[in-house]
Amino acid sequence: MNAPFAGKRGESAFARLCDELRPDLYRFAYWLARDRDVAEDVVQEALLRAWRSRQALETEAAAKPWLLTIVRREHARLYERRRFETVPVDDLVGSESPELGVAEDQETLHVRRAILALEDDYREPLVMQVLLGHTTDEIAAQLGLTRGAVLTRLFRARQKLKDRLGLAGGEEE
Amino acid sequence: MDCREFRREAGADPAHLGEEAAAHRDGCPACAEFLRQTLALDDRIRAALRVPVPKRGRAGRALPAVAPRRWLALAASIVSGVAIGSLLWVAGPRGSLAEDLVKHLAHEPGAMVATEVAASPTTVAEVLDRAGVRLRPGVGVVSYANTCPFRGDKVPHLVVQTATGPVTVMVLRHERVAHPVQFDEGGYAGTIVPVGPGSIAVIGHQPAADLDAIARQLSGAVEWIPGG
Repeated sequence: MNAPFAGKRGESAFARLCDELRPDLYRFAYWLARDRDVAEDVVQEALLRAWRSRQALETEAAAKPWLLTIVRREHARLYERRRFETVPVDDLVGSESPELGVAEDQETLHVRRAILALEDDYREPLVMQVLLGHTTDEIAAQLGLTRGAVLTRLFRARQKLKDRLGLAGGEEE
Repeated sequence: MDCREFRREAGADPAHLGEEAAAHRDGCPACAEFLRQTLALDDRIRAALRVPVPKRGRAGRALPAVAPRRWLALAASIVSGVAIGSLLWVAGPRGSLAEDLVKHLAHEPGAMVATEVAASPTTVAEVLDRAGVRLRPGVGVVSYANTCPFRGDKVPHLVVQTATGPVTVMVLRHERVAHPVQFDEGGYAGTIVPVGPGSIAVIGHQPAADLDAIARQLSGAVEWIPGG
């Protein structure tokens, strides 16, 4: 069995890989949790779990989806253990909260606000597709949905964003 | 494929049109425009999704060398019913700041001992002065004071004798924490509290509640010298 992350050399390679993937992992965690501190916790825990199991990884190419899966599970695990105070999205925006990240411009802030307001069922596949570049089949496998269900959610997610952003061209379902 | 079917497909995955959809787009200017707008929307979504990524966690690097005990500590704190207010428990991973603090203590094992002998007031004043800090009277006997290299900075390392034993105090002007942080690392307990532009870390063998009380007292006694 190949074990590209075994041994001392493997440790270094895995650490380097985690560094490269960390922005994607953090952003995925952020959009799951909608909270920067929680996202950092999730990524830390996920990387630790991954570190302990790294020798099981057979190819470097499998690392990203594997790590994203761990992030997703760690996020779910965290929510099983802790209850978080729910903060209305409008409050985050109104106070220019760091929860929104530093928006480069008002346009970005406007779109970010609309994404934050999406229901989890729509936001998560959209993040996986647009930010992480997952295919429909990959999203379906990750979320345990049929291909058709994923496409429906993606379509509705964009429809909702168009509505919230006041864009023309929305299509009836 | 009709326009409705095309828009269903393009609205779900505009970057990966099938052959039928691509053919429809080529023959239908309205749907081609719909696709163009949807792809433009995706660009805006992508830009919005790319939230800034913190440099390296709030207090650490991504892959610590030790296993985490943070959630065990959290669970223990809940089970014991101890009210910890807004304190956040960490022990390990995110706490590589904690890990570094404990490692630093290991370099000076003779410093944190119970004693009634105070360090030279001049030495204490010099150490604090180098870091642009003053310590108001009343915090207890300072038995050790040194300026130590820590994470690329020179920081005051003190040992303060308290009613419950000696504690190490590190004044960390350049280490910010968003919340008070407790840790349990390498046989030590500790608390890091935000103070002024940075934080102070209090480390010892006392129960966490005692360290919290000491940290609160010390944080009230630290005075940052403007421009220090």
